[in-house]
Amino acid sequence: MRIRDTIRRAGRSLRQAKARTLLTSLAISVGAFTVTLALAAGAGGQAYTDSLIKSNGDAKHLSIMAKVNNQSDTPKEYGADDGSGAKQGVLTDRDVTKIKNVAGVSEITPAYSISAAYMTRGGGAKKYDTTISIKADRTALSLAAGSLQNNQVSNGSIIVPEDYLPVLGFTNAQDAIGKTLTVHIEKPSIMLGYPSAQSEDKTFTIAAVDKKSTSVLQYRAALRISTDDGKAIYDYQTAGIPQSDQYYTINVRVADNVDVKSVQQAIENDGYTVFSLQDIQQTLFQFINIVQWGAAGFGFLAILASVFGIINTQYISVLERTQQIGLMKALGARRKDIGRLFRYEAAWVGFLGGAIGTLLAVATGLFNPAIAKALSLEEGTKLLQFNPLTSIVLIVSLMIVAVLAGYFPARKAAKLDPIEALRTE
Amino acid sequence: MIEVSHVTKTYGKKHTAFTALNDISLTIPDGASVAIIGKSGSGKSTLMHAMSGLDRPEKGKVIIDGKDILTLKPKQIDSFRAHQMSFIFQSFFVQANESCYDNVSLPLEIANVPAVKRRKKIESALQAVELLDKKKSRARDLSGGQKQRLAIARAIVNEPKIIFADEPTGNLDTVTGGVIEDLLFDYNKNQGATLIIVTHDSELAAKCDMQIHIKDGVIEKMTTKSREKK
Repeated sequence: MRIRDTIRRAGRSLRQAKARTLLTSLAISVGAFTVTLALAAGAGGQAYTDSLIKSNGDAKHLSIMAKVNNQSDTPKEYGADDGSGAKQGVLTDRDVTKIKNVAGVSEITPAYSISAAYMTRGGGAKKYDTTISIKADRTALSLAAGSLQNNQVSNGSIIVPEDYLPVLGFTNAQDAIGKTLTVHIEKPSIMLGYPSAQSEDKTFTIAAVDKKSTSVLQYRAALRISTDDGKAIYDYQTAGIPQSDQYYTINVRVADNVDVKSVQQAIENDGYTVFSLQDIQQTLFQFINIVQWGAAGFGFLAILASVFGIINTQYISVLERTQQIGLMKALGARRKDIGRLFRYEAAWVGFLGGAIGTLLAVATGLFNPAIAKALSLEEGTKLLQFNPLTSIVLIVSLMIVAVLAGYFPARKAAKLDPIEALRTE
Repeated sequence: MIEVSHVTKTYGKKHTAFTALNDISLTIPDGASVAIIGKSGSGKSTLMHAMSGLDRPEKGKVIIDGKDILTLKPKQIDSFRAHQMSFIFQSFFVQANESCYDNVSLPLEIANVPAVKRRKKIESALQAVELLDKKKSRARDLSGGQKQRLAIARAIVNEPKIIFADEPTGNLDTVTGGVIEDLLFDYNKNQGATLIIVTHDSELAAKCDMQIHIKDGVIEKMTTKSREKK
């Protein structure tokens, strides 16, 4: 028999036993539904984690800190010098030079600690306390207005938090873009309690307004300026005092085509403590994977259970159609044809079950907005993400599983003796 | 020509053994109509099964057109049945849930006839048994006589050389049975196909060219209508 005719006949005999076919398929669809949903949730979880990480940090960014002692966290004897600049958990320019020479490091910036006395729009406007920080990494900010190139501030520009706008007299975020803001910088007084000896005004152009995002784990409202501007302020504030050129953290940006992990390893080998976003990301992904495959495991169990349903249904089908099988054999149908007829029936059942389960799971995806709302995630977050390829692979696998389950019933059918099958008494 | 020589078929083993066919030999010329007559358990069905290759006797030869079908491989016998033979049964064995069209299509599908060529064959077979108007009806909605006519359409659709009919009128009343008989004999005469009817109806048997009486696995009597006695 031709394959097409066999498939058609298989489909027709399933249609003639609609209830039985549907029930058997539903058993499989439970498994397919669970697996699809687990994989979708896993994919969604990873995508969400990814966006979370991106808005909380820059994947190419490394934070470097000193170990208490070179190569180890055990304190070393006072006065002993091991050649590295690291001393008492503080990094110096010697460390900067050393790390700069590590292959794969494209940018290196010490975390300059700077402060501002106040900010003002000038011309007699009120003065306000403020926090100022340097945007050294390329972490994405969620912007209310304006734009940034590569998530960096250009020299002379400044990012203002949305919360600052009302006191600065801007009506909305767009209104602030392109306007200037003056930051007053003071040199620390030599002696505590005395007024500062020196101070200066720095004027910046507002390039962007950022706002708090729900996906940012920790948000601090601060004015953000470029590394060069920050360094200038740092140099101004620390010139001539003993604490100059000492840093707790050095920020490193890894070159674009270089593996972050290997650079991190190289710097760690030089005797520093290095934190990267990848560390966190990997831990989170690992967690999501465990949950995802755990849930999928239940789906696989359901599929295993439905296999027995298929075997049972197919055996009943063979018994019911003994005469048909006998007739076909008498008319010259080969064993192979009969076996194939029943295997295709099983495949149809597997296909139906897979398709029903997948469709139901995809329909669950319509609840994505509700899920995001219930978990108070950022609007538009899709925690269930379906991949058509995965679904196709799943459905095809279920068809194969069904065919394997139908092996024994199909063999029984193929082996039927036509004389016995057609005996009327 | 069908030549059966020294065919013996035994069921069971040793002391429970039962000889269904005991050293049977006979010759059926092409295009003949033959009745195999006997009571139930006489071995007449077994003889039909042996001649059609459904059953394998342990001794003897069944030579059809010069080939001993008992020495063929299963694949070749299946192909032989698909292309050269067909069957009609007492209980019709039409597929109740399928349309008349699909019922008749089955032997063509089994014989690997391409889909484009099937339609004409199926329709002319249904036409021959006057069921063309029922081609889309399900077989379960037919009467007994119509079902057997459908079975005949299925039997003749692939233009077989040999038709085996096992008590074809056994489940039908005299009038409808007569229609079925006419259809079978018409096909036998017009197409020159060999018709082998297994029956215990002596009236039906009398209409055949040749009568083979079987009793306890041996040929009791063989008569031919207008030719010499064997």
